[in-house]
Amino acid sequence: MRAGLFTRVVSLEARKQMSYRVDFWINAVMGFVAELTIAYFLWAAIFQARGADRIGGFTFEGMALYYVAAILLAKLVRGQSKDLTIARDIYEGSLTRYLIYPCSYVLFKYAEHLGSLVPALLQTLVFGVMALFWMQIPGDVQIDSLSVAMALTLVVVANMLAFLLRFPIQGVAFWADNVWSLNVMLRLATELLGGLLLPLSLFPPAAQAFLAWLPFPYFFYVPVQTLFGRVSVGEWLAALGVMSVWCVVIGAIGAMVWRRGHRVYTGVGI
Amino acid sequence: MTRGVMRYIRLYGSFLRFSFSKAMEFRLDFYFRVVMDMVFYAVHLLFFTIIYDHTSMLGGWTLDQIYVFVCGAMLVDALHMTIFANNLWWLPIYINRGDLDYYLVRPVSSLFFLSVREFAANSFLNLIAASALVVWALGRHGGLDPVGILVYLLFLVAGTFIHYLVRITFIIPVFWLHSNRGLDEMAWTLHRLSERPHQIYPGPLRWILLSVLPLAFTVSYPAHVLFGGLTWQAVAHLLTVVAGLFLFVVWFWNLALKAYSSASS
Repeated sequence: MRAGLFTRVVSLEARKQMSYRVDFWINAVMGFVAELTIAYFLWAAIFQARGADRIGGFTFEGMALYYVAAILLAKLVRGQSKDLTIARDIYEGSLTRYLIYPCSYVLFKYAEHLGSLVPALLQTLVFGVMALFWMQIPGDVQIDSLSVAMALTLVVVANMLAFLLRFPIQGVAFWADNVWSLNVMLRLATELLGGLLLPLSLFPPAAQAFLAWLPFPYFFYVPVQTLFGRVSVGEWLAALGVMSVWCVVIGAIGAMVWRRGHRVYTGVGI
Repeated sequence: MTRGVMRYIRLYGSFLRFSFSKAMEFRLDFYFRVVMDMVFYAVHLLFFTIIYDHTSMLGGWTLDQIYVFVCGAMLVDALHMTIFANNLWWLPIYINRGDLDYYLVRPVSSLFFLSVREFAANSFLNLIAASALVVWALGRHGGLDPVGILVYLLFLVAGTFIHYLVRITFIIPVFWLHSNRGLDEMAWTLHRLSERPHQIYPGPLRWILLSVLPLAFTVSYPAHVLFGGLTWQAVAHLLTVVAGLFLFVVWFWNLALKAYSSASS
């Protein structure tokens, strides 16, 4: 796929995502405020009931900041995670037209995926800057240029992982009529096991040790902890290693599903 | 009056028959939905179980009480998914395509027809699972008055109706916005406020959740009444909210229909 075409698809998708601006900003602002409000008051109630200074290694201010960072980084990692265009292409038969395009379907979809990240990037910047002005950064959180660079690297790889996961999940549409439920299952599991609903330091130690081998913690929890300066360079490299292995494994499963799916695919009436 | 009600009940019976035969055509989707809801239930139960590893109370409720609350939330979700969710999913699509004509010319209320036409038979199994979880949570808690439990279940049914009314209020603006889903995403985000006990929110926000945006009535308030005891004020409060919101939705729907322009005729 030529670079010019790739950037054109990215740009078109970004404009498509921003086409309903009123909707976009209302949903973005309300979504962020509501999610943060829920987490803030939930933890305010827990800290008050417990009467402790720290829970799971977080002070109350640290916990609030964790949720701000997790919610914003999640937008960058997941992009349009509710998007089911691959499954729709298969089910409706519109995959046929991509098969005769002189470019790779995977790269075409990756360009669309990157384009859909532009609004998320905008939201992260706007809300992130506002949060930095309004919120107190506790002493045990050390955000500097190195931690930001390390965290962003993890976000890029996590985003790639999230994209690759679409293929084995949505590829099931070659055999099933509706894979929306599979996508929701993945979202739910990722939110809990990835640390978006709760920091993983609150999980029992055995569960934490087990989760470290799965891809989930690297979607949200590890990037946020890295941003907060709580991950050493050695741990960061290890995280990148685990994520890379999962990229290869999920990519291989996706390719296998895709190959087998092609054999049963019929684009009737297109 | 009675004949009118009977006509609507017969019509709903036809919707049910059609929905079950349709669900059996898509078996794999049926099983996926069942597993998805099991994952949804597991995530919610695990979330609060992990939290209670670090505290003994939340909003004045113990772990046993929070399990009753969470399982109540699952029952409301299962009822919503079974009765309303599919219909609300299609509504913005019909509006944007100009496909409402077919429903507007029917000799029944268009709001009723479009809200309950498609019964999600593939979520029906989850309704049974959610009911079993409520029984489990109530049994685990123990010592609850049977009348109180009956009132709790009735409050949850009313909560499901409130959940539907709030959600359709956010979808109706699609008549003017012409976007994919209207403000539905915002409705889902705000709905998450109802997945936590309303006592954790500060005064003004709690007041909003008990009045103008009555999300606390979907799950939290019924549990509050179950544990705190039923009062006439609680019943009057609930009835006022349901009636007020229902009348508002009917008015809003009729207003929105004036902005509708057909594309198919």
